[in-house]
Amino acid sequence: MRLRAGISAALASAAILLVGWQAGSHVSDSNASAVTTSATGATGTTGGTGSTGSTGSTTNGTTGSGASGSTSGTAAGSSSSSGSGSGTGTSAKAGAAAKAGGTYAGTSVQTRFGTVQVQITVKAGVITDVTALHLTDNEQRSVQISSRAAPLLRSEVLSAQSANVQTIGGATVTSDAYLTSLQAALDAAHL
Amino acid sequence: MQPTSKPSGPHQGKNEPRLRSRTFTSMGTVVSLAVPAGPATSPQAAVDELEVAIAVVEQLFNGLDQTFSLYRPDSEASAMARGELALPDASADMRRLYVEASEWRRLTESAFTAERPDGVVDLAGIVKAHAIREAGTSLLALGLKDWCLNAGGDVLVDGSPTPGSLRPWLAGIVDPADRTTLLTAFPLVSIKRALATSGTSERGHHIWSAGLQTERAKEFRQVSVAAADIITADVLATAIMAGGARTLALATDRWDVDVLAVKNDGGLLATPGFRKLAAQNS
Repeated sequence: MRLRAGISAALASAAILLVGWQAGSHVSDSNASAVTTSATGATGTTGGTGSTGSTGSTTNGTTGSGASGSTSGTAAGSSSSSGSGSGTGTSAKAGAAAKAGGTYAGTSVQTRFGTVQVQITVKAGVITDVTALHLTDNEQRSVQISSRAAPLLRSEVLSAQSANVQTIGGATVTSDAYLTSLQAALDAAHL
Repeated sequence: MQPTSKPSGPHQGKNEPRLRSRTFTSMGTVVSLAVPAGPATSPQAAVDELEVAIAVVEQLFNGLDQTFSLYRPDSEASAMARGELALPDASADMRRLYVEASEWRRLTESAFTAERPDGVVDLAGIVKAHAIREAGTSLLALGLKDWCLNAGGDVLVDGSPTPGSLRPWLAGIVDPADRTTLLTAFPLVSIKRALATSGTSERGHHIWSAGLQTERAKEFRQVSVAAADIITADVLATAIMAGGARTLALATDRWDVDVLAVKNDGGLLATPGFRKLAAQNS
């Protein structure tokens, strides 16, 4: 009797567990779709990271909102379709383990800058970081991830003053201004 | 036009390639063509080649200026500005360049435009680059392999200042705050053999932009763009000047270009190509 009660109790618990698991997986599903939004957004940015920079993804990590998702959607659109492919792969994994958090690697995608593979870090269902695991150019060398313009100190380019240049680029000089320009000096030297 | 005296300019080192150059005035600026001086055995032949080349380029520039200049009352562009000639009735050159400019307007999300705020079609923002492009084609047709063409600060090169070597033409970029000094230099290799610079320091305001004028236009003082072709370089430099940081990001996302932008506070923004060079120089 006791045994039977024990068994049925166990079965009941199992049933509850099963229902709970189903409910849980359901919750996890809806979580997944919720996360998918941000994951797609973030990975979209990462697609953008290949071509743009990490600024976007930082913003995404801290906010994790739908708004950033839509912003990065634009970035994904302008970068490449393979970027969104990576987004799907990453977001599925991210969704399943969204609650637990952790780091997840996306699939490798081809971009203008070579092969890019990204890793996302999830904390409490929010993507907190996107980093590039793999980024090479066509010669399989590691390359700088961003083509975006970044600040450059004048002191870093000062030595170019002494560079021996053959021509001078600058905003269009008038014929009058040319006479006192560096280009005129070069042309005169090459007469 | 040739300077009558030699101003004290950049020092010519002993290992520097020996060049010869010729200049002429067109489109309100000075165009110069430089070629390697050639082997010492036949200096006369090299000079003659240069004379022919500069004559061809000058004719080309002046021909385009006669069609496109708004400073010439008798130009086709002036007739259009006065409303005497409609675009569909304009010459094939005019229509082609207008179509090209319109396409660039779309690609740059209106940061570049060939229409003045008053509606007048003004292709001045693209016609000089077009002339440089055409000149480059002519030089190629003439059989010149190594040359450097500079039209008022916009540069297109081919080959090397040292024939037969891999040495690239090196273009200095002028400091808008002090036009007697250089900010940096950029090697014009085959994939980026064109360099265009747009700025507020010279030639007044030839940059218009639909709805983007005012504050954004004040963001940068000078923008240099290196690209595979001179039209892309020139249009994007103009567009970034007009559209500011937003257009800068758009340009580096969509095109394989290198950009050096001088902000109004004197700070510099540079893409990896310019940063890498800075590292090599230091």
